[in-house]
Amino acid sequence: MTAYLCRRMLYALPILLGINLLTFGLFFVVNSLDNMARMQLGERHVTQEAIEKWKHAHGYDLPLLWDATAAGTDKFTRTLFYRNSLGLFTFRFGRSDGGRDIGYDLRQRMFPSLAIALPVLLLELALATSLGLMVALLRGSYFDRWLTLGCVAAMSISSLFFIIAGQYLIAKLLRLTPISGYDDGFAAFKFLALPVLVQVAAGLGANVRWNRTVFLEEISKDYVRTAWAKGLTEKQVLWRHVLRNALLPLLTAIVVTLPSLFLGSLITESFFAVPGLGSYTIDAIQNQDFAIVRAMVFLGSCLYILGLMLTDISYAWADPRVRLAAS
Amino acid sequence: MSLLEIQDLVIEVGAGATATSVVAGIALQVEQGCTTVLVGESGSGKSMTALGVVRLLPAAAHITRGAICLNGQDLLQLPEHQMCDVRGARIGFVFQEPQSALNPVMKVGDQIGEVLARHLGLHGKVRRERVAELLAAVGIHDPRQRMTEYPHQFSGGMKQRVMLAIALAGEPELLIADEPTTALDVSTQAQILTLLQREQQQRGMGMLFITHDLAVAYQVADKLAVMKGGILVEAGSRAEIFSAPTQAYTKHLLAVSPRIESAVVPVSRTITTDPPLLEIKGLSVTFPIRRGFFKRVVAQFAAVNALDLSVQAGETVAVVGESGSGKTSLGRSVLRLLEASAGTVSFLGQDFFRLNPAQLRHARRDLQIVFQDPYAAMNPRLTVQQIIEEGMVSLGIGGNARARITRVEQLLNLVGLEPHFRLRFPHEFSGGQRQRISIARALAVEPKLLVCDEPTSALDVSVQAQILDLLRSLQDEMGLAYLFITHNLGVVAQIAHRVVVMHHGSIVESGTTQQVLFTPTHAYTQSLLAAVPRLP
Amino acid sequence: MKLALLTTDVALLGTLILVLLYFWSLRQHKLTSQRWRTVLKTPTGGSAAILLAMYVGVAGLDSLRFTAGGETFTALDKMLWSLRTQVETTYSAPLAAFGYAKETRYEAHGKVARDYPRLVYGGRHLRNPAQDRSRDLILRVARGGLLGVAGFCALLGLFKITRRCPHAPFWMPLAARRWRAQVMVIAALCVLGGVIGALAADYHLLGTDKVGSDVLYLTLKSIRTGLVLGVVSSLIALPLAVTLGISAGYLGGWVDDLVQYLYTTLSSIPGVLLIAAAALSLDLLMQQQASDFASLASRADTKLLALCLVLGLTGWTSLCRLLRAEALKLRTIEFVSAARALGGTQLQILFRHLLPNTFHLVIITTVLSFSDLVLAEAVLTYIDIGVDPSMESWGNMINGARLELAREPVVWWSLMAALCGMFGLVLAANLFADAVRDAFDPRLNNTLLAAPR
Repeated sequence: MTAYLCRRMLYALPILLGINLLTFGLFFVVNSLDNMARMQLGERHVTQEAIEKWKHAHGYDLPLLWDATAAGTDKFTRTLFYRNSLGLFTFRFGRSDGGRDIGYDLRQRMFPSLAIALPVLLLELALATSLGLMVALLRGSYFDRWLTLGCVAAMSISSLFFIIAGQYLIAKLLRLTPISGYDDGFAAFKFLALPVLVQVAAGLGANVRWNRTVFLEEISKDYVRTAWAKGLTEKQVLWRHVLRNALLPLLTAIVVTLPSLFLGSLITESFFAVPGLGSYTIDAIQNQDFAIVRAMVFLGSCLYILGLMLTDISYAWADPRVRLAAS
Repeated sequence: MSLLEIQDLVIEVGAGATATSVVAGIALQVEQGCTTVLVGESGSGKSMTALGVVRLLPAAAHITRGAICLNGQDLLQLPEHQMCDVRGARIGFVFQEPQSALNPVMKVGDQIGEVLARHLGLHGKVRRERVAELLAAVGIHDPRQRMTEYPHQFSGGMKQRVMLAIALAGEPELLIADEPTTALDVSTQAQILTLLQREQQQRGMGMLFITHDLAVAYQVADKLAVMKGGILVEAGSRAEIFSAPTQAYTKHLLAVSPRIESAVVPVSRTITTDPPLLEIKGLSVTFPIRRGFFKRVVAQFAAVNALDLSVQAGETVAVVGESGSGKTSLGRSVLRLLEASAGTVSFLGQDFFRLNPAQLRHARRDLQIVFQDPYAAMNPRLTVQQIIEEGMVSLGIGGNARARITRVEQLLNLVGLEPHFRLRFPHEFSGGQRQRISIARALAVEPKLLVCDEPTSALDVSVQAQILDLLRSLQDEMGLAYLFITHNLGVVAQIAHRVVVMHHGSIVESGTTQQVLFTPTHAYTQSLLAAVPRLP
Repeated sequence: MKLALLTTDVALLGTLILVLLYFWSLRQHKLTSQRWRTVLKTPTGGSAAILLAMYVGVAGLDSLRFTAGGETFTALDKMLWSLRTQVETTYSAPLAAFGYAKETRYEAHGKVARDYPRLVYGGRHLRNPAQDRSRDLILRVARGGLLGVAGFCALLGLFKITRRCPHAPFWMPLAARRWRAQVMVIAALCVLGGVIGALAADYHLLGTDKVGSDVLYLTLKSIRTGLVLGVVSSLIALPLAVTLGISAGYLGGWVDDLVQYLYTTLSSIPGVLLIAAAALSLDLLMQQQASDFASLASRADTKLLALCLVLGLTGWTSLCRLLRAEALKLRTIEFVSAARALGGTQLQILFRHLLPNTFHLVIITTVLSFSDLVLAEAVLTYIDIGVDPSMESWGNMINGARLELAREPVVWWSLMAALCGMFGLVLAANLFADAVRDAFDPRLNNTLLAAPR
């Protein structure tokens, strides 16, 4: 187990390095820093001095990868790549182009994101699994056919519709919840109810359909026929055999997303003005604050890789056929 | 009154106008304490009948007529919840595929215990004791330990024993075994058959045994029923069917079933004493076993271990072995479809392993292969013409397109197919026809040696006999040599001049077919031969 | 009148031609053409295909771009010329004859009146809109509906003639059970088309937007943007996924390691973030070269193309992973071994055996991802990294609706039109994808092996 974790960490390093190179390339090589400065300073009529000054103020007046003029290790460390990209490995996010401390912002905004994402995940899981199981029980019936068609229809609706319609109907017409905003502590509940509801609704179609597929695939396996031949009742077959096996892919698919819950959801948070990481990212994109985008890309990838690791561990825990050490 | 009485059973697949009956009105009895064997080739409806008895047909199939009476009670009239009380308690079922028939994430003991809880109401310690007894009864050592293990920790034969324990747990009156040994090796098959018979006799159960293999049927049957195309062709006692069959189909089946005793030993005219066509020396094929932190190679698994073998022109050498003996790896490494780790393969004096890729492509012309699975052996998106001419095109032989068409037509004629089949696609053909096309494809580049990798084991016996006939006549006409890989000793007797027996990657015995089959010297060969079920 | 195609026009039309060529070439491939026929035969698949064809037709017409007299317009514009030119001053509700908000009017005698102004174009043929409008609308719906039925009957007649079955009654396809759903969809589309035509001629069927443009026109124009995004992005992603995936799976070794590293790295980055990062970077690049573009339209077009590029370059990983796994499986399958034994070169094997046998995966995944791409457009536009604001797109329409919903009275028609337009396309694509998967996925084909019931 420990050996496995160590190996996974080692595997993660080149991937994270690749991600860093990619964002570095996108923001520093494809675009010149002069461009960036010009844009931040307001497009046209910017003097070269102003650009230099902006670059110096943000620590961007360094060579890209290699400083031939410096001495010793400075050749490598006094570069943009070392300062701006490799620093991320130690979770030093630095300052945003707007001048704020990114690390501090991240810590502040993590929890509102989680406060939406976690209830969404749990509700979605409960609803989608029970609906999926119900459809599997009634497979081939009219209920099954219409629900599946309904799922496809729900998948075809833009998530923006759910947000807009939810906000309009529940907050504006019925006045059940505030339209948008956020508060600390338990007061947050009334603000979070609507975004959570909206997101669960938006994801339900795709999730129920996916669960149905997994259940049906499991039901058609040989060992389920053995279970029938044992004389077990339909309930016993489904609960003891099918559900247990079907939950493997379903649960592990969720484990991947667990760490990423911190990132929140972009659109929902932004629409409902929840001060989470999702809206933080959107603001950064809209303000073209590249330092924040870079940090978020790195953080997101780290969390995803962590999720993959957790998936493997949960698989080994849940499935007797998988052993980490032997792989 | 019989234990099980099937009357006028009709099973249809599909609905409405497209429905076809896969079982068309059969009648069948199983007596208390006796075994009735249902024999038939693929598509005869024998498995459908078995599944129909416990009402576990696939969703597309349904029973449209008939009665299935267990001790006089018509199972088809029972509501589903009562049927659940019959399955497992009064009828035990053993399926064909032990690999997939057990729940992979449930402990073996729990899978057996489930039946005890459901039908006998056993719980706790009593149940565990009973599970251990059952496992011991089906011949699993150390049952207390093994009942806490998962199916993947058991071998195929062991899984089938567990399956049997599940079927026996509810103390059924009737046991249905649907091809229970088809997926197993001969020696495991012999053990499972003995076990089945012993349990059946001890418990006085009736047994409905489904198989495609007449020899297996002969070994276990009290009564036999022969099915073909959903219809019961002939039924009777074992003695009647085997010594005095009345129907032509039964006679035909008996005639084409390969027998070891009747080895024809075809001493071919073309065998020469010249230097061998193919000479294998010290051939080893190994697969690395990786483990640990950096996935280092900690050991080598030798699929083929320092093997020597030679094939003369016009000769058939059969390589016999059970699964995992390395016979398939041998066949592929001879063609360098699998790279060997040591040894030499020389063909007509030319060292095959020293050739560069370009030379190898051309050298392969003399050496072709026919595979086991007729469905995987052909690209489903190409026409028969494209399939057969593939080798001619890539090696640049056979002239222009028009000449190739003539050649393909000739080849189709040669393997006993109509020339106009060349424009069809593989899915339009049966398994036997596909195997003929595979042979034609190999012959298109005029090889001198054909590696036949279990070419008949996916086919029905009657088709198998035709393909073996075809191979023999091709050898007579063209002087082909065969390296014939098989697990079936009966087939060996029909085709081989010489036999080598492989076990754990090495040859344990070799000699002429007569020697190996009738006077084996090595203990492994002897046990193998003893395990083969025989026809009278 | 001169043809003046933009890059995305060429890409879209080119793809259309390629797809048509593909279906033309299928005549020789029984197996595949049979599967496509199965797709069209299933009620949902066939209906979805008809709907998709409508969308594609509109987008295709909207990609035939011409210039004449200093003005650029497409074939679709030409057909909808009145919709394009009949611009009101500001918002108006669907089918309205009066403006949406009261306006102050100065009349001849210096009198100041404040009421709803007559629209310039919407319902201008009515003498007394307050009284006549509803009667006029009902008449138009009836007339349009009848016209639609007539058109449908004409289609049936045409079908009868081309099928050369003189003895069957011409309404036979209606009675044929197998094609009922498809025929019904066509009938519904005919009637709907008739009604829309009758109403849109003298009204703004779906109202007008802030600057008075007809919303129906905008919705129809947006189809092209959505399709270009879906099609061109797939077009960029496909070659990458196919070459990398298949060669990684078949060749193994360092190629496999490299490809695996590439897609693991790319797919580690959360989707939207990666797209945002790339789009931002390209956007910045384009801002600096703003002066290089000939017109606003070509600039918007390049931005659309850049977005497609970003979506394509970030979207190939999942298909690549699938294809790699499939190629790994095929590598050891017997017909590939046979091809090697018969002296086939690596390249021959890749093209003859691996590519055709992984093609079903390519089709299934592409059709499935198409709907995701169309949906993504709206989201990306919402966070300002989508299509250019000057371009007609559903995302822009929805984006604008954020402010419109806060107005009193609520302006809902733009939003609803965009959502419905998008819903129709995505639903059709999803249903079509389902039918394609059912027909092409070999695992699902064996009904005999299905679960007992």
